[in-house]
Order: sequence, then C-alpha cells, then structure tokens
Amino acid sequence: MLLYAFLAASMLYLLVFIGLPIVYNLVMSVQEVELGNISDLVRPFVGLENYREAWEDPSFRTVLLNSALFVGANVVAQVGIGLALALFFAQRFPGAHVLRGLLLASWVLPALVVGALWKWIFATDYGVANYVLTRLHLISGAIHWLSDPTVSLTAVTIANIWFGTPFAMILVAAGLTSIPEEQYEAASLDGAGPLARLLHITLPSLWPTLVAVACLVTIYTMRAFDLIFAMTQGGPLDSSNVLPLLSYQLSFQRFHFGVGAAVGSFSFIIVLAVAVLYVRTLRRESEG
Amino acid sequence: MLRRTFLASSAAAAGFSANVARAEPATVSLWHVFNLDTDMIYGGMKAFNESQSAYRIEPRLVPGVQIVTELIRAIATGSVPDLVTLDSPVVASFSAQGTLTDLTDQVVQSKFIKPDVYFKGPWASGQWRGKTYGIPRDANTLGLYYNADMFRAKGMDPDKPPRTWSELKAAAQKLRDPAKNVYGFGFCATQAEEGVFQWLPFLWQAGGSVDKLDQPEAAAALQYVTDMVQQGLASKDVINQSQYEVTNTFMAGNIAMSQGGPWELPRMSKQAKFEWRLAPLPVKDDKQIKADCLGGYDFVVPKGAGQVEGAFRFIEFMSNPKILNEGWKSGRIGPRTDVMVQDPLWPQAYATYRGEMSYARPRGPHPQWPDISRPMQTAIQQALTGAKSPADALREAAAKVDPILAKTPL
Repeated sequence: MLLYAFLAASMLYLLVFIGLPIVYNLVMSVQEVELGNISDLVRPFVGLENYREAWEDPSFRTVLLNSALFVGANVVAQVGIGLALALFFAQRFPGAHVLRGLLLASWVLPALVVGALWKWIFATDYGVANYVLTRLHLISGAIHWLSDPTVSLTAVTIANIWFGTPFAMILVAAGLTSIPEEQYEAASLDGAGPLARLLHITLPSLWPTLVAVACLVTIYTMRAFDLIFAMTQGGPLDSSNVLPLLSYQLSFQRFHFGVGAAVGSFSFIIVLAVAVLYVRTLRRESEG
Repeated sequence: MLRRTFLASSAAAAGFSANVARAEPATVSLWHVFNLDTDMIYGGMKAFNESQSAYRIEPRLVPGVQIVTELIRAIATGSVPDLVTLDSPVVASFSAQGTLTDLTDQVVQSKFIKPDVYFKGPWASGQWRGKTYGIPRDANTLGLYYNADMFRAKGMDPDKPPRTWSELKAAAQKLRDPAKNVYGFGFCATQAEEGVFQWLPFLWQAGGSVDKLDQPEAAAALQYVTDMVQQGLASKDVINQSQYEVTNTFMAGNIAMSQGGPWELPRMSKQAKFEWRLAPLPVKDDKQIKADCLGGYDFVVPKGAGQVEGAFRFIEFMSNPKILNEGWKSGRIGPRTDVMVQDPLWPQAYATYRGEMSYARPRGPHPQWPDISRPMQTAIQQALTGAKSPADALREAAAKVDPILAKTPL
C-alpha cells in the first residue's frame, strides 16, 4: 500500500512540475501567442505554422547545426577527458582525493560567472588565451575568439568543456570504485599489463557508466544557456547560438512566443530521445 | 481596504479625525532596474513614503536584462506588479498589445505631468494611438568620451575634440597605438538592442533613416563604422562588447575615444585614472546633421494592477523637477525641458548631454521594434565581420524591415 503511495506521489510530482510545462509548451507551439493574449488559455490555433516559421528562418538551421556540433563535441570531450582524469586520480598518490575535489570548483561556479571569466580569457587584445598561445609560438596573429564567426562556436565549446568536465569525472570516478579490486589482482597474476587491464577490465565494466554519463552530459549541454548568453549572446551572426538561447530570444526579446515554443519543442524531442536511452542504459545496468 | 474603512469610521465616531487613527497604507509594488544606491528612485521612494500615509512603495530590484522576461511571466500568470520601469523602446510592444493600463485620464487631470513640458522623444515612447501608457522617468543619449592625456601624449589639443566624421577618423588614426594595445575608437556593435542604439546616430547623421535602409545614406553610415574596424582603428571585438565592456576598455586605457552614455559617469569618475572628457557626437562632414539616439526608462502600470491610483501618485511624485534634478547624480537626465540642473556634478558632461537632448531621436515607438532592430543588428554584424558589404547587408535588412513598416509605419 505504502509503495503505491510512493508511486502516486512521484507520478503527481512529475505530472504537475514536468508534464504541465511540456504540455503547455506544446500547446503554445501550435497557437498564435502574443503579449496581448499570453495570459489566456484559449488562443488562435495555427497548426504547424510556428514550426514552419522556425524552420524557414535561416538562423534556425544555423542554430540547429550549432547545437549538434556543440553537444557532440562536449559529450566526446567531457566523457573522454573525464575518464582520463578519473583514471589519473584513481592512482594512489599523495593528495589525489583533495585535488580531485578541487577540480570540482569550476562545476560549483555559476554559469554566468564562468561565461564572464572566459570572455575575458578570450578577449582578442588583452586576453590570456592569445597571450599564452603567442608566447608559445603556436599562433602568429591574434585569434578573434568571440568576434570571428568561424571561431566563436569553438570558443564557447572550449569554455563549456572546462565547465562540465569535472562533473563527468566525478561520475566516472564513482563508476571506477565499483570495479572489484580482485579482478585487477587476478589479471596481474595472469600477466596482464596496464593497457590490457584498461582494455579488458576497466573499459568493459565501465561501459554502462560511460553511456549514462554521455546521456547526462548531452542533456546538460542541450540546455546550456547562461554560459553562451554571457560570452556572446549567440553572436556574431548566430555563429555561437544554440536552441535554448534562440528560443529565449524569440520569446522574450522579440515576443514571438509561439515560434519560441516551437524551437523549444525541437530541444525537447532531442532531450527526450536521449533520456529514453539513459533510462534503458540504467535498466540494463541494474539487470546486468 | 475593509479594515481601513472600519478604522476610519470608528475613529470618526469616536470624535477623532481619520488622520490620527492611522490606517494601514496600501502597498504599491514597484519593479525597477536601478542598482546604484545614488539613483533618484531610492530618495524618491523614501520621500514619497514619508510624505503621505495612503500608499507605501514596496520595491523589487530586477536586473535590467531580466525585467522584460519577469514582466511577461507576471502578465502570463495574471499577478502583475503595480508599477514597472521599462526600457523606452520596448514600451510600445506592451502598450499596443493592451497589456498596460491607459493613463491618459490621470495625465489630463495631473498638475505636474503636462505633455508639453516633456522632450518630444521621451514623451512619444509612452504613447500609442493617442493614448498614454508610459511616463518617461529619465532620458539619456550618447556622447564621445575621450582620454585627454592620450591626446596630449600624441601632441593633440584636448580642447579640440573631433567634430566631424573625418576628424574622428583622423584622431583615431593618430591615437591608435598597437604596441600598447590602444585602439583609437570604441563603440558597441553586439547582436542586441544596444548595438542598434549605438549605430543609429551614424545612420541619422548620414541623412539616412530606419525606413530607408537600402539607400546610399544608410550604406555610408555602415561603411564608416566598418572602415573603423577593418582599418584597425577600432577593435574587431566591438561586435561582442556590450556598452558596459566598451567603457571598461576605455577606462583601462585600451581605447582612446569611446561612444557612451551618461549612466557611465559615476564609475568613470571613480575608476578612470586619467583625465577624461566628453564631446558631442561628431557630424558627417558633407551633411552637418546633428543627431543622437535617445534612451531612458518609462514608468508603466501593467493592466490588472491593483493600485493604479497609488502607482500614478508615485509617478507624479517622481516627475517633480526637484526629484528629477537628483537623477543626474547617477547620470540620468530629466526627460522634461523644465529640468535644468544648477551647478551639476561633471558640468562639462552635463552640458554636452543636456545639449544633445534637443536633437536626440527616439527608436520607434513601434510595437514591433524588436523585429525592426534585429535585421539591423544582423546587417551591422555582417558588415563588420566582412561577411557582406554594408550596402548588401542593409538591402537584406530593408527587405525585412520595410514590410513591417508598410503595415505599421513609424
């Protein structure tokens, strides 16, 4: 009986706090919503007009591609670097735990602060990035990190990787501790070297964790907003814009709430697909 | 309310005047964006609350970038504040959609708020189809800040700031010093409203206008700022520097001259470690048109506000020239022609900005101003990054702006 109460409570929570906003967003995306009727529930139905308008907006396609590149690069880099760092800190050297904890500092900072920080680092003339790269003779002329449309997406991606990697690292580190030490001992006795142990024990046992981390990073990165808002506002020319920021701009800066909601729906569909993958991975993990 | 009437009547019955038995003042909720404690709104609220007992202002400070979002949320949920300060170009979007309280009757009856004492531009921002939805709280324009020490170091006379486009460019060329990371000129060209705010003066000085973006005048205006960037007189980073950051760069000594507003004065006077001065924006040599862009905040009362009367009383209170005089302490110019600060802080800056008020032009008012502004932002960024020529970029912008203006003209 109590178990059913638990079920009912969580269902109710999901319906009210997750389900309603999603439904509300979907409803808005097929309506003509203006400042004048935003408080009404019944608004003119326009079918898929908002979706068509979003799709035909040239900036939407740029932003869709940007989002794919941004999320893809973030997932690969955050999981990859997170794994490398977790393995590194799993070595027992003095201060390993403390240092690993300190790495989390970046995850604790508010995204707006991180954005302001990286904007400063990436400033063309007095930024640290160009200074260091020039001193190391890696670049000859200054890079316009945030004002060159061909570079700005890379710049915000680097900043977001720095921001999110510690979180990925901690999750992977947690996964590492669940691999029984005996397996490594047995493998060593059988003559397996470090590389063989990594390829045949660590990675296979860690695989479900890595998939789960990749899903979480995807979801977190899909909703990246503050960091990019602080660094470039999506510019120049939408070159660093992503779906949630575009949705915000359409709704709250240009007052096209329906189109903004339609863009939001695209994000939702992608996140939903990833979330389903995540849940299935978790299930397989618990069954396995 | 019930409690108030009860108290008042029982007090009267007991032979006391209603004034003695103090009724609870009605709360008037105010959302504003002014985070400097020297802003006139703080002294205004205190004086207002002390001057009468019927209303009490309950302020909430909302960051400037969030106030529109917050107001939309409030409108959508039907729980609006009584009074909000809004950036003047967005007011028309709200008033045209019927989300604000019509204050026309209150203004007609008001002793203090007379439309003809206001500068035309600020007053127009609160108007829509002959009705009043917003009352200007303050105004601002842009000026040319310049580093007098750098002028002297380059053998230039700081008493003779550039007065024309060609002088501005020549000065920027002389002042530029790549070895020291110093650019000649700085302005804001972000993909945001403030980028348009900073470019419109050039458009108007060139004899162009928002409804004629495909004309050579507009192209000349965009070409001018594009040349500044492509010839290295201004940093390429201007397309990603907010006005706040442009001023930071100026104060750090990395720009010799920068375009900026009076709201920068409080931090300029504290943080700039050199002699800075201010000049009116230059004019285009062959046109000699003085033009500047108007900014500022309006007081608006959202529709459905519970305390329209109290809100309007506070607007009246804040529109008193005595209070408006205080605005200059945080770099806010009175939107009324009868406000002239005697013996002001930063006298030279005051004279400059106050003088510009006579020819500064408003953005709009137009309910679709954000949709008009956006194509201009894109055109500016296309030209500055070299993605398109200024003329091509503006032709594209005109193709988006013109249909909007054909439906609802400026």
